[in-house]
Amino acid sequence: MLKSKTKLRAYLLAAICCVFGLSAGGSLAHAADGGASYNYSVWGDTVVSPSAYEATELLTGDKLGVGVFKDPSDLHVTPDNEIYVLDSGNNRIVVLDEDYSEAAVIDSFERDGQTETFLNPQGIFVSDEKHLLIADTGNKRVVHLDDEGGLVNIVEKPSSELLKENFDFQPVRVIMDKAQRIYVMATGVFDGLMEFSAEGSFTSFIGANRVGVDPVELFWKRLSTKAQRSQMVMFTPTEFTNMDINDEGFIYATSGDTGDSIRKLNAQGSDILRRTGYFKPIGDINYRPADGRSRLIDVDVTDSEIYSVLDSKKGRIFTYNGDGHFMYVFGGMGNRIGEFNTPVAIERVGDDFLVLDKAFGEITVFQTTEYGRTLNEAVRSYYRGEEEKSFELYEQTINMNANLDFAYSGIGKSILRQGDYDDAMRYFKQSLDQRNYSKAFLLHRKQVLREHFGIIMTVIFGLIAVVLLARAYRKMLDRKRGVSVE
Amino acid sequence: MNKELIKFPLYLITHPFNGYWELKYEQSKKLNLMMSFGILLLLILTNVLGSQYSGFLVNIYNPDQMNSLMEITYVIVPVLFWCVANWSLTTLMDGEGKFVDIFTSTCFALVPMVIINFPWIWLSNVISLQETTFYYFCNSFAALWSMYLLFVGNMTVHQFTPSKTILTIALSLVAIGFMAFLCLLFFSLLQQIVSFVTIIYQEITLRN
Repeated sequence: MLKSKTKLRAYLLAAICCVFGLSAGGSLAHAADGGASYNYSVWGDTVVSPSAYEATELLTGDKLGVGVFKDPSDLHVTPDNEIYVLDSGNNRIVVLDEDYSEAAVIDSFERDGQTETFLNPQGIFVSDEKHLLIADTGNKRVVHLDDEGGLVNIVEKPSSELLKENFDFQPVRVIMDKAQRIYVMATGVFDGLMEFSAEGSFTSFIGANRVGVDPVELFWKRLSTKAQRSQMVMFTPTEFTNMDINDEGFIYATSGDTGDSIRKLNAQGSDILRRTGYFKPIGDINYRPADGRSRLIDVDVTDSEIYSVLDSKKGRIFTYNGDGHFMYVFGGMGNRIGEFNTPVAIERVGDDFLVLDKAFGEITVFQTTEYGRTLNEAVRSYYRGEEEKSFELYEQTINMNANLDFAYSGIGKSILRQGDYDDAMRYFKQSLDQRNYSKAFLLHRKQVLREHFGIIMTVIFGLIAVVLLARAYRKMLDRKRGVSVE
Repeated sequence: MNKELIKFPLYLITHPFNGYWELKYEQSKKLNLMMSFGILLLLILTNVLGSQYSGFLVNIYNPDQMNSLMEITYVIVPVLFWCVANWSLTTLMDGEGKFVDIFTSTCFALVPMVIINFPWIWLSNVISLQETTFYYFCNSFAALWSMYLLFVGNMTVHQFTPSKTILTIALSLVAIGFMAFLCLLFFSLLQQIVSFVTIIYQEITLRN
């Protein structure tokens, strides 16, 4: 009964969200500039939140003077803010400088004296030394170019006993780590990411998604014969949808997995993403059953372990901090600026966001609002351990958005450090942080006991004395009564 | 008299065999019923206070979904279901207990859940995360004690052997499942009939 009520409420909420395009939920507290965006409270309710990002500019191929983009499918931004747009339909790469003006076009390279071009490339990656990696999907190869556009290496269909004879190598996404190992995501590969050595030879698969098994289906499979089983759908792990690598060399990968759709892979390929937020980072947590959960198709990781993912269903970009707390969301489907038709890739340029729309061939530039800036900085200084600064910034954030529950824990920690245990407890309680609450409480208890040690001991001894006296008095009465009876 | 009201439940939970014997054969039924309702009331009070005032470390509650009336039903409904199911079964299985006996024995079995859990509502506010183990230990201890009392009570009330008691308890649980299912069916049918009638009414009023 209770559960159905909450569910009903969730549906209602989702319906409201659809009506307004932007979400507005149980309005616990309104921020100064209304509530253009949303967040999730500790209880899983959708609550209003000021928007952290706003669309400011629309970049098209025409505007940039390079001709219309045709089905662009990937973006990459280097640390010094050079932007590489992979214009797949035109088989070229457009390089923009940080002011979004065109710098160069790469559409071919020299191989053994001959000029070669790309065919429907799907993925691009630029290393710190400006080496270019292109997943040249149509030509079934990965092209590795140096910073001047000269060919370094070409990775073609690998031969390995791990792979089937008739394996069709179609790379769609590619990244490279600091040791120049190349990781390739290829279509039809369920075993994880393909890892290639710096020389371009295939070494192994890493980070395979786990197979999700439906117990009902498994039951039927157990009962059926071998012939029947061969007719059934096989349990296969889900494919990855995209990946990114951070400056520490950890790979962030998204997948259509029904469990953990975002993963942080270490060198062994095991998932080390921290999921200590109120909810697992999966995109929207309140959605209509008809819509299903968010389909994450791109991930972008920046400094301080902040990462963002792109949901292709609703065109929303979700950003989480390293602990897995949901920071903010923006975007949406539609025709106005700041909305998309078929978003395919996101990248950060400093703190700005670029979102690439495949069908429109446009890049939307999003810039932080006052709220977004403060929150970004707060999370960063908290990550770096700058207590004072993060305290101030979190205070400011909460003044703008009282619904940001995880911020209270950040404030609590610095208050705890200052020695105000009672207040710290209040803040930890607000963000349901039991572990830190307990820490603050232990200190608080010690303090109280120490302060009132005299009174407490006096009361205890006083009580003992009273009990003893009462007992003696009763005995005396008994004796008297005994005497009178005799 | 007044002292007896407090002393007897405490005597019963520590000496369940003698206690339940006295409860059934020596005490006045009226007094037993009064005490039983008192115990139920105290258990409800404990649960309501517990869900509101238990320490933050053991009890995260959403004030939006906190409902004292639901806490009442969480106590009353299981007790009622249990008594009805047990009575229906034991009458068929030569149990000697009347419905009143079953009800009072069940209520008295709940005493540990009151006297252990009630102080813990307040104690849980002054413990740390590491000390919550004691809280959970005491809670489970109270639950186990209550189950033991329920078992002894049922055995004494019906004059069953231990194995037969276990059998009837297991069957009672199955019966509770059936009853819950029937209730659900009944209420959903009722709901559909009501909505059917209201729709017909609407249809007629809107047609002119």
